[in-house]
Amino acid sequence: MINVSNLRKTFDTIEALKGISFNIQQGECYGLLGPNGAGKTTTISIMSTLLEPNEGKVSIAGYDLKKNPLECKKNIGVVTQEIALYNELSAYDNLQFWGGLYNVPKLELKARIDELLNLFGLLERKNDKVKTYSGGMKRRINIASALLHMPNVLFMDEPTVGIDPQSRNLIFEVVEKLHKEGMTIIYTTHYMEEAERLCNRIGIIDDGIIVAQGTLDELKTSGSMKETVVISFTNLTEKRFTKISNDWNDHQRFDDTIHFFSKNIQGDLSKIILKCNEVGLDILHIDIRKITLETIFLSLTGKHLRDK
Amino acid sequence: MIKLVKKDLKLFFGNKQDMLLTFALPIIFITLFTFVFGKMGNTDEDNLGGVVHVVAGTSVMMLLFSVAGIGGSLLDEKQEGMLKKLLCSPMHPKHILYGKLVYANIISVVQLIVMFVYAWLVFGLDIMHYLPSIVLMILAISYACSGFGIVLASFAKSSKQVQGYSTIVVLVMSAIGGSMIPIFIMPEIMQKIAVVSVNYWGIQGFYDIFLNLLPITDITFLSKVFVLIGIGTSLNFIALQMFKKNILKIV
Repeated sequence: MINVSNLRKTFDTIEALKGISFNIQQGECYGLLGPNGAGKTTTISIMSTLLEPNEGKVSIAGYDLKKNPLECKKNIGVVTQEIALYNELSAYDNLQFWGGLYNVPKLELKARIDELLNLFGLLERKNDKVKTYSGGMKRRINIASALLHMPNVLFMDEPTVGIDPQSRNLIFEVVEKLHKEGMTIIYTTHYMEEAERLCNRIGIIDDGIIVAQGTLDELKTSGSMKETVVISFTNLTEKRFTKISNDWNDHQRFDDTIHFFSKNIQGDLSKIILKCNEVGLDILHIDIRKITLETIFLSLTGKHLRDK
Repeated sequence: MIKLVKKDLKLFFGNKQDMLLTFALPIIFITLFTFVFGKMGNTDEDNLGGVVHVVAGTSVMMLLFSVAGIGGSLLDEKQEGMLKKLLCSPMHPKHILYGKLVYANIISVVQLIVMFVYAWLVFGLDIMHYLPSIVLMILAISYACSGFGIVLASFAKSSKQVQGYSTIVVLVMSAIGGSMIPIFIMPEIMQKIAVVSVNYWGIQGFYDIFLNLLPITDITFLSKVFVLIGIGTSLNFIALQMFKKNILKIV
């Protein structure tokens, strides 16, 4: 459905994209995960025809973006980071306007607006001016406005920035529903939990390049990443630690605590506990640290996804 | 494009502040100035000249402020992300500009019509007798001014900056073009400079209609219409170039 190959974009002296490539199959929800300034929005902007790349090729639904921008535009819906709505118009009028731009037939558009307002839980407030809506409600209408022409591909550029948990959950449910119905979605975010929940494939982007991509499981197993069991003991002595060390190579001691590293923590946990019992160690506390997108990102780039 | 114009008109007629600035404020100025300058002459002809000058001069000046606001609204749309979203839709980018120009034309025509109808009802300005000429002049002035706001907007970064620029440019253009003081009492050098202003051609056109009583077919009158069309075409051309170069630059 989407092919992006060797995409490069430079702004003055800043190289925003340094040769990005990825393919997205029909019906996939592809997450583009990266910190601020990684190149997510630039990638989406090029794919939505807002920017021209310096190099590289993009094709959407079989159309080359450079040769057939109009056909590409007809196939995509774009949820921009900004809430692009006319505050002085009602939600209904806003949707009617945006739907009209995609030449959705009048009767069909009317039904579609009602359907989307219902989906986003705003049908009862359809005639209220958008300026009376909360930030979350505006975001919902912003997403609805990109779905009026039933696009094959939906670009969502950080659609949940600065909204309340209720609206966030509703947006997640809608994205999941659209994905289930077969819509191809590209979802950019710097919230790893969003990517984990919504996307079946993830591309990790940093400093203008995709450093890794695949399903969450593929990402977890692809590198040298290991899960960790952190066990605190009440009676950890040098002798007992040596005994444990003889049987378990991959570990590290911090005072009364040992960090055991494993690629298969579920399988190895019982073995570790059994070994501890054998050498007479009394366990005070066990903490399992699983591989998350955050840890994957940290190991790949040496950075946190969000500023801490 | 029609959808863009319809949306802008809906926004305009739903906004009381815009309506007040476009219609009520010019009416207040026209009323005040006409009471001051419309009765200063010794003859009826002099008084008519005063009324025509005030109505034409004030209308064109206020019209320039209105179209400057329309240019500013384009920058607001850019800042709020609407322009980005419009550019993602299957619409040619030029149509965004054409939509604004058509909208500016419609607002200008309506504003000028309201001003002349008001002058007819309140000050007895005989517009019915010269209706075709007045309509032609209104259309020409509206067209001449329509690109002004976009040109201003392309030099600015925000609508507030457009407001600042427009205050200076419109007041200077109105001062030298005769909107404030009639041209014929200005020094000769100022009368020569006045031709660069759209206000001058508009006011002179209305003088031709009401004071010189020239018919619509008269070449002196038509020449002013052609100059206004020329100004409009040049401004719209510049607006298109600047729109592509500056306003469409999203990042």
